[in-house]
Amino acid sequence: MSVNDVFLQLVTGLQLGAIYALIALGLTLIFGTLGVVNFAHGALYVIAIYAAVVIGGQIGFWAAVILVPLLLFVVGILMERGIIQYFYDRPHTDQILVTFGLALVIEEGAKAIFGANNIPYPIPDWGTGQMLFYGTGATIPGVPRFEEMPQVWMPFIEGMLFYPSWRIILIAVSFLAIGGLFALLQFTRFGLVVRAGMRDSEMLRFLGINITARFAIVFGLGALIAGIAGVFGGPITQVTPDVGMHLLVPSFLVVVIGGMGSLPGALLSAMLLGMALSFSAEYSAVQQIVIYLVAVVVLLVRPRGLMGKKGVLE
Amino acid sequence: MSTEYRPHSWPREGIVLGVFAVVVFAMPWWLTWIGGYEALATKIVIWAIFALGFDILLGFTGYLSFGHAAFFGTSGYVAGLMFLHYSESIIPALLACLVVSIVLALVLGFLTLRRTGIYFAILTLAFAQMLHAAALSIFQEWTGGDNGLTMSAQPNLFGLPMDGLNVFYLAAVLVVIGFAMARQIRRSPLGLMLRSIKENQMRLEYTGVNVMAYKMTAYLISAIYAGTAGWLMVVYEPYVATKFLHWSTSGEVVIMSVIGGVNTLIGPMIGAAFMMYFENVVQSEIGELWKLVLGAIFVLIVIFLPGGFVDGYNRVRKVLGQKVPSRRHNVPDSPESMRKLRERGRTAEAGRTD
Repeated sequence: MSVNDVFLQLVTGLQLGAIYALIALGLTLIFGTLGVVNFAHGALYVIAIYAAVVIGGQIGFWAAVILVPLLLFVVGILMERGIIQYFYDRPHTDQILVTFGLALVIEEGAKAIFGANNIPYPIPDWGTGQMLFYGTGATIPGVPRFEEMPQVWMPFIEGMLFYPSWRIILIAVSFLAIGGLFALLQFTRFGLVVRAGMRDSEMLRFLGINITARFAIVFGLGALIAGIAGVFGGPITQVTPDVGMHLLVPSFLVVVIGGMGSLPGALLSAMLLGMALSFSAEYSAVQQIVIYLVAVVVLLVRPRGLMGKKGVLE
Repeated sequence: MSTEYRPHSWPREGIVLGVFAVVVFAMPWWLTWIGGYEALATKIVIWAIFALGFDILLGFTGYLSFGHAAFFGTSGYVAGLMFLHYSESIIPALLACLVVSIVLALVLGFLTLRRTGIYFAILTLAFAQMLHAAALSIFQEWTGGDNGLTMSAQPNLFGLPMDGLNVFYLAAVLVVIGFAMARQIRRSPLGLMLRSIKENQMRLEYTGVNVMAYKMTAYLISAIYAGTAGWLMVVYEPYVATKFLHWSTSGEVVIMSVIGGVNTLIGPMIGAAFMMYFENVVQSEIGELWKLVLGAIFVLIVIFLPGGFVDGYNRVRKVLGQKVPSRRHNVPDSPESMRKLRERGRTAEAGRTD
């Protein structure tokens, strides 16, 4: 495997991991604070991609970038206040059942409105092309096709490499969103309260903090991240009603491998799975099941997940 | 919740099973009165077997598996391969399906049963999807990939061709046997253990019970039911679809159990009938919207009627002022029932359960 191949597969792994991380972070955030496993999280992603297609097609892409996450934030809060809050006192299995039912309703609703087939996603012009990576000593041909491409110099690359711009944009946006989320939780008073709530929400209530309102916002935040994932991930994952469930299963594995309720763990395991998928691409038969194999190995060696803490869900 | 403890009696057991058998065997006739067709009865009974086994796991132990398609689908493939390459007789295929289901349940159970609740649901879902992905990739040579497996010849039982009503009678006999067995398990010490896992697994462990062995037993039993259903499905329709392994199959059996009424044995079977009726008869009325409507019904039942149809029926009876018998099958649970037991001179036994 040459340096170029390794570089390409690293970037692909980052891109796959980025989408999983966005979905899984929302899942694990909601799980860690509210104790709810949201089977409808993939369905939130479905809402986001269809909203992005509609808003992007009618108004424009930038409108979608701003409006879709906001819309999902509202949807998330409505979902939590309207249904999920009545399930905190009921068994975990009931929470799974109701969110699974919601996922079905949303998926079938999308199918009834937009049909079961992939519909085209209006990518803005600046995102459609390829990105050019070149190493030292590479001579880029002086034709417009090459000169118009965004060019990045990477000293270790031999010659030239092309990679779809949109995927690079997705990686950048994902890491911005992930960084933003971690900053919000780490450096703000709101984040402090939420993190304390993840540890011991009862104690927080004793201290007179309205944790209920904040947890509703956390649910909204999880949905908002799914919204960001939908706007930028839609062109890559396809725009179909069942894409939510396709993403949900690997995202669950990400959460479980990372350790339930651990945000750094989710990020780490998303990247691990992304890389595993990317580097097994040569053996396409194995690639289909490689994430499950990783999951089996991790769970046998570390049943709590990579960064799972003792006492969570036991 | 319960008002009276009803002790077990064999005559009553016989009446229950007799009525059940009559209703099941007459299904091809009464189903046509309400817009169904004969072949639908076969489908209903096959799914009823699947849902019945699922209730032994979910209803008794409270372990919600989202991956029971693994057993149903794998059995389907094994049956299909047996019909294609070994013999068109259904008996060797059944034996192979049972062996494979048991082995698969041991492996998956070892990996998933160590965790409870949410973890269990997620892990079973993931490993079933792994089998689905594997059937489409590394096992493609045997499973036919996306095309599935198609059998040319009709399977037979000792020369009797298995088509039309013959399959139905086979399935009906099996569902009656399965129902009788499930009822026996429910009132046996094993059933009591499984239900105490649901109540408080930790306390059970502290008393020195090998909880893992009991959980595995329940998992194995439900896998055997699911495997039998998968085998019957391929006997009924000589085609193995990749959908048999897909998560939506697992989801369907979950939906059936919940809308019918978990932990009632009869409920999941009613749920299976309801869902198949919906999928095949109501679909012709409202088209593809049936899934949306069914999903909405499912959500409403989870929110407002967690006990499903059976619970709804009991609530109606309570409103009408009827006595609803206890749902706890071998635990005397109300003061009156304890007193009655003492009156029967079983004080010592009742005292022990205190």
